[in-house]
Amino acid sequence: MIWVSWRRQRTEALIAAAVLLALAAFLVPTGLHMASVYHHDGLSTCLGPAGGASCDDTIQSFTDRFSSLNNLIAWTTLLPGLLGVLLAAPFMLEFEHGTHRLAWTQSVTRGRWIAGKLGLAVACALVAALILTLLLTWWHAPLVRLNGRMDNGVYDSEGIVIFGYTLFALGLATAVGAVWRRGVPAIVAGFAAYFAVRLFVDTWLRQRLMPPLTATWHLMVPDPRALRHALVLDEYPADAHGHHVLIPANECGAGRALKRTPGLGDCFARHGYFMHAVYEPASRFWALQGIETALFAAGGGILLAFAAWWTYRRV
Amino acid sequence: MITTPAISTDRLGKRYGSAWALRDCTLAVPAGSVTALVGPNGAGKTTLLQLVVGLGRATAGSVEVFGCDPQRDAGAVLPRVGFVAQEHPLYSGFTVAEMLKVGRKLNPGWDDAFALQRVQELSLPLGGKIGKLSGGQQAQVALTLALAKRPELLVLDEPVASLDPLARREFLSSLMEAVTETGVTIVLSSHILADLERVCDHLVILSRARTQLAGPIDEIVAEHRLLTGPRADVAEIARRHEVVTARHSERQTSLLVRSNGHVYDASWELHEVDLEEIVLAYLAQNRAEDPTLAMSA
Repeated sequence: MIWVSWRRQRTEALIAAAVLLALAAFLVPTGLHMASVYHHDGLSTCLGPAGGASCDDTIQSFTDRFSSLNNLIAWTTLLPGLLGVLLAAPFMLEFEHGTHRLAWTQSVTRGRWIAGKLGLAVACALVAALILTLLLTWWHAPLVRLNGRMDNGVYDSEGIVIFGYTLFALGLATAVGAVWRRGVPAIVAGFAAYFAVRLFVDTWLRQRLMPPLTATWHLMVPDPRALRHALVLDEYPADAHGHHVLIPANECGAGRALKRTPGLGDCFARHGYFMHAVYEPASRFWALQGIETALFAAGGGILLAFAAWWTYRRV
Repeated sequence: MITTPAISTDRLGKRYGSAWALRDCTLAVPAGSVTALVGPNGAGKTTLLQLVVGLGRATAGSVEVFGCDPQRDAGAVLPRVGFVAQEHPLYSGFTVAEMLKVGRKLNPGWDDAFALQRVQELSLPLGGKIGKLSGGQQAQVALTLALAKRPELLVLDEPVASLDPLARREFLSSLMEAVTETGVTIVLSSHILADLERVCDHLVILSRARTQLAGPIDEIVAEHRLLTGPRADVAEIARRHEVVTARHSERQTSLLVRSNGHVYDASWELHEVDLEEIVLAYLAQNRAEDPTLAMSA
């Protein structure tokens, strides 16, 4: 059973491996380059207690230098979905080609066949997710040390969420394919649905999983420690109680766009303005990752169970 | 001696949506027989065979294979049943050797020596991709897969429909070879009767989702007679015998009857009929009786 499932899954597994290999071929040289620049510019000492004011500029220039590359790598957030739906293909193709009539009339019962087939797809998906996570985590390491890992572009490929995403995409495509029994349309529909769910979670749900914290501080003092590497959802001028204030256009050189000019702190102090931020602190990284991964993995598991049940009962 | 029939169905029915694909099907296939399942396209042949091998779930009635329910007791039934589905689906990306490996891995009773020998005799290339083989060769691989499982019952759904006449002949003769070697019970469906007459000893006629006739072929042929005579009312004959079809020309009436004993009426001339005529008569009978058939066909 395992050999048969593997032989049926082999092509898709090889395609997934090729995709990951191509990604590695791009990530490894750029990652090594970024790491060497990081050491060359002495950024590691900047992060220590010895880091002076000049370090802010160094960090900024390093971040700017690699920002376009980082934006490009952010597209890899599509990969868990692509790999997930790809690995669902062998299951749905069995029905599209009618070969389930061959498989189900051997001596292995339908239940065992479904379990073996889906079990192997899950195993392949988890391996792909592991490789993807390791690659991206390694690549992001210098940027994460400087700027944290709470921003969506980095957060989506750090920690454990990729496992949840991949399983969810696999479950989605498998469930659509089990009902629809057409490989390509099911893959396209599965990926589209996956993309919509990810968009919803990234832009709306994630910041509501745990109620965000707020901070109000005087611009004359350094930004609060808690904001370091945090996911800042909103930041605006406020009064001492944190209520939003509109700064008139002629004050503090500010219109709508508030620029952090050197004199801004003094100006704020003169008028009694404060800064106020709504944020998810970096310390919540693992808690948020855990919740999100659990949601996606549970969704994927439920969809896989549905696909198995549907196939067992209805086909 | 009473033996468990290989297949027995009792008012078996299967509905897809609101349409019955098979209805009130009651029949028994004796162990050791070679049974032909005949009927026009859409008569419910595939549905019946899929219910037998456990691929489908009955909507009504019951089906038993060697006394077991093929769905509930799949673990017990599956190893004893070989199935060659319509268009003999195989994994087209696999080589012949890999396809045999599938059989070996999925069937505890797999006879590898037999499979290899058969592949060799048919000169099928072990390293050749299934997708590159001819239709006839693919059908032979599918048959090998089903036979090497060493089943007690072999079910074939339209096994020769997609084959050219030569491949068809080769397929059926290799099937018959297997019957004589192993004594396996065979049920095969077809809408082409000529092929089946040579190889089968039992017949089931399925039409419009119902069983029309079932029994040993020699009995069926012996029972049926063609009566011709001057144009007459058939009521007299129909009292004693079952009139399958009646054709009237200006002066003459010809009846195909399933006789219940001898026909003593001297006004009728008796003729022997062959199996093909009988089957065609049963299929035509249904067409004539049911005005909706023209639409559903």
